[in-house]
Amino acid sequence: MKAFPVKIIPLLLVLAAWQAASSSGALPQSVLPSFSDVATSLVAMLRSGEIAQHTAASFARAGAGFLAAVAVGVTLGLVMARIDAVQRAVEPILLLIYPIPKPAIIPLFMVWLGIGDFSKIAVIALACMLPIVTATFNGARSVDPMLVWSAQARGTSQRRLLWRVVLPAALPQIAAGVRTAIAIAIIVLVSAEFISSEAGLGYLIFSYGGAGADDAMLAVVIYLAALGFLLDRCYLAGLRRLMSWHAFAH
Amino acid sequence: MSAACLQMRSIGMRYGEGAQAVQALSAIDLDIEEREFVTIVGPSGCGKSTLLYLVGGFLHPSSGSLCLRGRPIAGPGPDRGIVFQRYSLFPWLTVRGNIGYGLSEQGVARAERNRIVDQYVRLIHLQGFEDRYPRELSGGMQQRVALAQTLACRPDILLMDEPFGALDAQTRRLLQDELRRIWRQEAKTVLFVTHDVEEAVALGTRIVVMAARPGRIKEVLERGFDVADGEEFEANAAFAALKLRIWRSVKEEVEAARA
Repeated sequence: MKAFPVKIIPLLLVLAAWQAASSSGALPQSVLPSFSDVATSLVAMLRSGEIAQHTAASFARAGAGFLAAVAVGVTLGLVMARIDAVQRAVEPILLLIYPIPKPAIIPLFMVWLGIGDFSKIAVIALACMLPIVTATFNGARSVDPMLVWSAQARGTSQRRLLWRVVLPAALPQIAAGVRTAIAIAIIVLVSAEFISSEAGLGYLIFSYGGAGADDAMLAVVIYLAALGFLLDRCYLAGLRRLMSWHAFAH
Repeated sequence: MSAACLQMRSIGMRYGEGAQAVQALSAIDLDIEEREFVTIVGPSGCGKSTLLYLVGGFLHPSSGSLCLRGRPIAGPGPDRGIVFQRYSLFPWLTVRGNIGYGLSEQGVARAERNRIVDQYVRLIHLQGFEDRYPRELSGGMQQRVALAQTLACRPDILLMDEPFGALDAQTRRLLQDELRRIWRQEAKTVLFVTHDVEEAVALGTRIVVMAARPGRIKEVLERGFDVADGEEFEANAAFAALKLRIWRSVKEEVEAARA
């Protein structure tokens, strides 16, 4: 048997305290539904397939936005690192977009791109792109010049340097940027689905919340947290396998 | 008489502009013959690495000319293989991938590439480590792979920038022996930069001593005796005398630089 994961003890204590506070009456239902009620609704929603159906809708949106962000972000980051004029032109724009809370511009995107999926995907892509561009740019700029010289002395042309040296050398940093983007994708996705949608986990939270079904609402929130956690773990495990040449810090 | 493998003619190198300008190298004249092993030794800041980077084509001299086998050096190329103290290897490639890198850049087909890589893996005694990544190897092993990676490109001259500088004393001696053996076996021309006087004498058939500010050639000494693999340098009187002679010459420069 594997050793008991000590790390989850604090989490279990929090859940136990929550349940104890509800059962003893110290925490009224109107303030926070009990953990057992939330768990019961979650199991019911999982059984009925309701969660699965909305997860699929959300996953398609977040996935499309995220993939677009990786493609555009890595390309833009590399071009910025390579061509100074592009960096000087694009950097101020990125710096201005950075502090904007992305959910705040969802209505604007809906005016431009319609209230359908496209505007949601676009805002997810924009939000996810920023950490990826930054990470790619920094990664590509911090490639050790000796590594570039080493490649040139082994016959790599100026044009091939990007693929043979700069991109692989920047991969660990790009991977870290992509990890941040995964979390951002989930946050922006839910916000976008709050504002307008007929399906998706954000829609589910919003409609249960509006209907006063706090236990069901919280169940979806907890499900989302677990989903995000799992995605992150899977991503890291995948990275360690695919990039075993790099010593990851965590 | 055939022309030298590498010719350096009145090389000067300046960094910066106006009053801020630094004369890194001045009036360097040096010819290196085919199959010669030349070591360059000098105090830090004497421009010995800069000189090597000029030969590599990574930097361009402010004045003078460099020719390799009669052709002017215009930029980096696989005819000059370089090994740095670190960062010669690509961390994302295995030992096999690293040694075969130059071959694949030159379009050598996979089967032929594997055959050549195997040959160099044997030369550096790293059989069984072909599929390891650089971070899984010790510093000494990494430098042996870097040497093999460079040799596999079949360069006309091997440029080495303090390649054993980051290694412990024992590993360093082993690698010096290995490099000397490979130099004899492969009949290569080597230009080797070091700040370690003993290393300069242990490897170089000719030793160039450099002076600092501006970096220039102070003297060039022929070793005039053979050094065998695994030799105890301390027991060789001629070795000890030459080492002391060069050490005093370098010390003079270190003290001059400090004054």
